[in-house]
Amino acid sequence: MAGAARYLDPAIVARLGTIDLKVRAIVEGFLTGLHRSPYKGFSVEFAEYRQYLPGDDLGTLDWKIYARSDRYFVKKFEEETNLTCHLLMDVSASMGYGSHGITKLEYGSYLAGALAYLMNRQRDAFGLIAFDEAIVSRLPASARSGHLRATLVALERLTLGSRTNVAKPLHDLAVAIRRRGLVVLISDLLDDSDRVIEELKHFRHQGTDVIVFHVLDPNELTFPFDQAARFRDPETADEVLAVPAAARADYLDRMQALIATYKRELGLAGIDYCLLDTSKPLELGLMSYLMTRRRVL
Amino acid sequence: MFGVSFLSPVFLLGALAAAVPIALHLFRRKTDVVIDFPAMRLLVRAPVQRHHRRRLRELILLALRVAALVLLAVSFARPYLSGTIADVAAPITVVAVDTSFSLSAPGQIDNARAAARRAVDTAPPSHAVALLAFADTATVVVAPTTDRRAVRGAIDRLSAGAGGTRYRTAFGRASEVIGGREGHVVMITDLQQAGWAANDEGGLPDGVTTEVVVVAAPSGNLAVTSAERRDAGVVATVQNYGQAAVRAEVSLMVDGKVLANAAVDVAPLAAVDVRLAADLPRVGAAVVTVDDPSGYRGDNTRYLVIDPPLSIPITVIVADPAERTSGLYVDRALAVAGGGREFAVDVVDGRVLSGWTADELGMRAAIVVVGTRTLDRRGRDLVREYLAGGGQALITLGPDVDPLTLADITGVDLGIVAAPVRAAAGAATMVASDTRHPIFRPFLNQSGALADVPVEQYRRLTNQAARLVLARFSGGDVALAEQAVGQGRLVVFTSDLDNQWSRFPLNPAFVPFAVETARYLSEGRRRAQSSVLPDVPPGVGDRPGVATVGEGAAAHRVAVNVDPRESSPAMTSVDEFMSGITRVSRAALREPMNDARAAEGRQRWWQVGLLVMLAALAGEALVGRRAA
Repeated sequence: MAGAARYLDPAIVARLGTIDLKVRAIVEGFLTGLHRSPYKGFSVEFAEYRQYLPGDDLGTLDWKIYARSDRYFVKKFEEETNLTCHLLMDVSASMGYGSHGITKLEYGSYLAGALAYLMNRQRDAFGLIAFDEAIVSRLPASARSGHLRATLVALERLTLGSRTNVAKPLHDLAVAIRRRGLVVLISDLLDDSDRVIEELKHFRHQGTDVIVFHVLDPNELTFPFDQAARFRDPETADEVLAVPAAARADYLDRMQALIATYKRELGLAGIDYCLLDTSKPLELGLMSYLMTRRRVL
Repeated sequence: MFGVSFLSPVFLLGALAAAVPIALHLFRRKTDVVIDFPAMRLLVRAPVQRHHRRRLRELILLALRVAALVLLAVSFARPYLSGTIADVAAPITVVAVDTSFSLSAPGQIDNARAAARRAVDTAPPSHAVALLAFADTATVVVAPTTDRRAVRGAIDRLSAGAGGTRYRTAFGRASEVIGGREGHVVMITDLQQAGWAANDEGGLPDGVTTEVVVVAAPSGNLAVTSAERRDAGVVATVQNYGQAAVRAEVSLMVDGKVLANAAVDVAPLAAVDVRLAADLPRVGAAVVTVDDPSGYRGDNTRYLVIDPPLSIPITVIVADPAERTSGLYVDRALAVAGGGREFAVDVVDGRVLSGWTADELGMRAAIVVVGTRTLDRRGRDLVREYLAGGGQALITLGPDVDPLTLADITGVDLGIVAAPVRAAAGAATMVASDTRHPIFRPFLNQSGALADVPVEQYRRLTNQAARLVLARFSGGDVALAEQAVGQGRLVVFTSDLDNQWSRFPLNPAFVPFAVETARYLSEGRRRAQSSVLPDVPPGVGDRPGVATVGEGAAAHRVAVNVDPRESSPAMTSVDEFMSGITRVSRAALREPMNDARAAEGRQRWWQVGLLVMLAALAGEALVGRRAA
């Protein structure tokens, strides 16, 4: 992940102005750095010219313009598809946790916004569904102009809900979404892993591609605490007094086991799984998306 | 019923310190680190302590810490169960029962017990009750209590003793019990006149009401008031305190065997000597008993020691025994006292004295120093130690006495002018400065007896500050003086008693002078063979009988008898009794905390409290260690 240093720190992104600006900064930066990636020319329809920037693929240089103006421009293309993407955003209370200046919900929202931005650029239809233990808001999928704005506003207005129950809204959506497409699940997946996996398989059985962004805070991944404290579940308010030194190893084992389970089971089901650390750049998530999209298309 | 009281309740304020761990507990709860952690579900099954369990443990820790602090404060407050100890402010009825031997006539003590029970039963319900038994001394049998059953039980155990009656002693003790609270005293007594005779002190506090319950005295009483060995038998005195003539049997018993009996007729209010002829052993203890079934039982028996009289050991220290007249006159004078048995005199020089031990010299009732020339260092130290320990000495300042040696053995400067003074006109005579002094008792009615004592030479005493001048010579110089040395006492005769500077030993006044001086000096160091309760030698009990006192060569028997003054059943009236009660100010009384202190001292709950506190601390350490 040496290249991650080039990307924006999520904590810095969180301090930018509107979500629109944040998303734009993420995506543009991401696209700018794709010159060595295998995703060049992913758009098939010309969209615009853009001044050449170091790192751009030289193959996209418009030499004619160079001959006329003695300046380097690259040609930008758009791809016309009929992909319908459903962004499933977990807004349960556990998503409100953040230890490094950004919560999982914010991180997920930026990711969803960035994905929506990308999809909008690709003219894909996308919708947004927020849920906790049930679906709390739903923005139907659309590819028309202005939908991105509505999606970003919806993302900005997301509020934390109550307890997590990923499986139930997934089940409801699996029933509701008949048209093949792409389902993007953004969640911390702190739920019954068996049920979550089962419901995600349900999508796959319907021919819907699924990409799961497992968003976790670094504290959840490393359990760095050193003082005895009462750990409270924000969803249930249950408390456990733990001595980190004594509990860390067991906790990490369980967390790694949970991640491994998701990775293994979802992989076997043909579901892309991407573990995201909220302290790491969002572009990693975007890359996972593009890989999945490329496979889907 | 078993309320808890405290001797030092102010220490209970220390229990407020328990607020500290409570506050810390609450404060800590408020500041306890709480972390919202969504992945807590992964911690639930982790091997960490659940909060509710931890909280229970914290509560246990808090309870143990609070308990330790409270127990510490309570222990310092000296708790005691006050179920049997009345509140110090509660009104009180003191039931004082006469247990002198004048209550030993048939039925008397039973009547006294019944009266005491009635007094307890009729005491106001709000009153605490205390029970006193008094005779020579007054004893708190039951401290102020609300448990009247306990008082009644103690009353049932009362019995007449061998002591005499001392009303004021009882009043004084009752005052201590009552202290500053409202009180009522019930005196249950035979109103014996002898109870006022003693020169005791004691009264009742102002405002304390008094009730007298009279226990009837017997109509008559026979008592053996004295008994002594005379020749081949014992002569006893039988006193009849009744209004009618009585014929009674008197018996003499030695070592459990009746050796003699005699019947005597005793006139009303009269006494008669009874000779009980018997072949008495040389040593032993005898008992004279008079048959008196209706009078006081305590005075029907008189104990006596039939051992030979104990002579008073006196040592005369001379300069050199080779000089036959040294100490001779003192020796001869003391030898005639008391029929020749009163004093046991030995004449030694300094060299012999040096071979004695301190105990051997300490057994001497008095010493007479007529010569110091052969006293070596050992002898001087012995004499000095003897005087410092309470020894008595007659010191003469004749030609055989060295003033410097005297200063050495007495440890004080006697102010002796070494050069003798020759009396003017050939001889001086003596004049008693204080004729009431015991030494001059034989000369009270013999005016001029000392004036015939011719003294040619004497030594002058210059310092009169620390001594009492008993007699002077006709020239005004000190002839006889007395002064204290250490715990002992010196009587200094400034001339000699060996017929060298003075012809006093040849004068008729010499023998009574020497005997009375010896008696005066040895008075407090005699070994008595009889004593009267309650004035008995140390270590002897308070019951009549024959006891052995002293150890080793100083061991001897002592007959202990009741005070014959208590044998008279003469009574005062209730009015006279009431008027004899002295009233004392409550301000002068001690607070009646003694009972509570005694109860606390017996119960020692503070020790239990400290032990439990230590256990609580140990538990706290254990629980705290597990919680860490």
